[in-house]
Amino acid sequence: MAGEKIRKVFFLLIFLVLLQLLPLNTAQAVPSFARQTGMPCNECHTVFPELTPFGRIFKLGGYVLSKSSKPYEFPPPLAGMAQASYTDSKGLTSGVAPFDSTNRTTDRINLPQQLSLFYGGRIYDKIGAFVQGTYDGVSNKIFLDMTDIRYSNNTILWDKNLIYGLTVNNSPTSQDVWNTTPAWGFPFASSSVASTPAAGAIIDGALDQQVGGIGAYVYWNNLIYLEGTVYRTARNGITKPLGAGTTTDQVVDGAAPYWRLALEQRWKNHFFTIGTYGMQADIFPAGNRSGPTDRFTDIAFDAQYQYMGTIEAEHMQDHMQMGSEHMAEEGKHIITAHATWIHENQDWKASFPLGNTANPSDFLNTFRMNMNYYYRSHLGDIGGSIGYFSTTGKTDPLLYSSSPVDGSRTGSPNSNGFILEADYRPWDKTKISLQYTIYNKFNGAHSNYDGFGRNASDNNTLYALVWLMF
Amino acid sequence: MKRILGCAMVVLFLGAAPLLAKSVEGNEYDKGKTLYKNNCQFCHGIRGDGKGPAAEPLLGHPVDFTNSKFWQDDVEKKIEDTIKKGKEMMPAFDLSPDEIKAIISYMSHTFKKAAQNNN
Repeated sequence: MAGEKIRKVFFLLIFLVLLQLLPLNTAQAVPSFARQTGMPCNECHTVFPELTPFGRIFKLGGYVLSKSSKPYEFPPPLAGMAQASYTDSKGLTSGVAPFDSTNRTTDRINLPQQLSLFYGGRIYDKIGAFVQGTYDGVSNKIFLDMTDIRYSNNTILWDKNLIYGLTVNNSPTSQDVWNTTPAWGFPFASSSVASTPAAGAIIDGALDQQVGGIGAYVYWNNLIYLEGTVYRTARNGITKPLGAGTTTDQVVDGAAPYWRLALEQRWKNHFFTIGTYGMQADIFPAGNRSGPTDRFTDIAFDAQYQYMGTIEAEHMQDHMQMGSEHMAEEGKHIITAHATWIHENQDWKASFPLGNTANPSDFLNTFRMNMNYYYRSHLGDIGGSIGYFSTTGKTDPLLYSSSPVDGSRTGSPNSNGFILEADYRPWDKTKISLQYTIYNKFNGAHSNYDGFGRNASDNNTLYALVWLMF
Repeated sequence: MKRILGCAMVVLFLGAAPLLAKSVEGNEYDKGKTLYKNNCQFCHGIRGDGKGPAAEPLLGHPVDFTNSKFWQDDVEKKIEDTIKKGKEMMPAFDLSPDEIKAIISYMSHTFKKAAQNNN
């Protein structure tokens, strides 16, 4: 029996290695994008999935930039992804999911952690999509993951470029192009089985695949980005397909507006961005589908700095005047720093009368910042990140109650800590990461945080990941 | 009667030929305009000045077609080679000879004139 399991794992690994060797594309990230544009992956990504300035423009352009003149192409732009991981944290057991443990949520080895199939590229003319279908090896479920379908065009407004478009997506902030916002923020991958703090703002992943929305955006003069999107529940109606395979736990009542404003400025190789985003959603208490709702109002600010040593330093105007025959010299250093702060007001108009919360209203403040450095060497891209995270909020003993591992003895949502990560991209289609998460405070306390003798440091997590694209 | 009809046909043909030629040329221009819009404009810009929305973040910078220096020497061959083979970070494009010809036609009619005016 054990031999059979090992054989299955072995054949899976061989299969994935063979996929890497197939000459399917010149590059990766989502390799279908590379096939469509004829550009290498590192034009759009520093180390995937983090975007470069050009990657941001490609996404805003609706994923349709192509080396072909045809409005659509056959075969369709499909790509795949496989993640295999190892997690070491107190309380996890050794198993080889999905081949071994019956309780995969406590398995140290996740093989696979995720398998994804992407539709990434042009659908027709100016309509393109990033659609991810995922098999989650931990929950053993298939579902529609991040989805962003766009129409985009460009023109001149007030003598400057204007990109404008529409987005249909299923996760607030998944449509955003800066890696400061939650959906594509740091850490770009993390353990599916390690314990994580109980409190989080709704815009911080709680509504992923729970809603579907349509929005409009403009990006003027490579300077100002403005977007408005309206979401509704993916439990029923026209948005139901956007939540395919996911149980809708957070049922949004009516429309939930989302906004985004960002300013980006380039100075030589340096790209600076500051912005704000947020949303308001009325959500039924767990188990309810009608009646009063709780209101969540999230207001966030973010900032990003990106140094692209891979872009020539001189100002572009000089070369434009030359008429063009300039050969760019490729540099090797990339630095990106991200920061975001999210304030959430929680108005428990429904949950407080039901006795689910101790306060009629609460709040949460989430702060995250990190800095990445990558060096492009002849042996591949190598680098790492250091990050800090903090969640603070109002104490609510009913909302954050005492229970083993995931609970809070103090009723406080406060957590903070650091993430250290080393990354190596030996070749285009593979990324290897080693990540260590250190908790200073977890669910309100440093020691005995759950009331059952568990300390914050017991949740420190070592996470090793092999991430393959094909 | 036949002679009159023959003469009329010759006159009609001779009269229509320039219009026909202009129409073919116009079709090529329009085709080139569409191709330029879909394949080139995002980097090289609506005005061909190398200042499209994607220009600023690019490694290297898109060529400015409104600069008269660009239109020197064997420019059509240069454009054709660049589209076919790519250059620096510009990828090779999968365009047919007719499509490349149409793009060159559009660029010549639009940006070359702008370059001359800039001088």
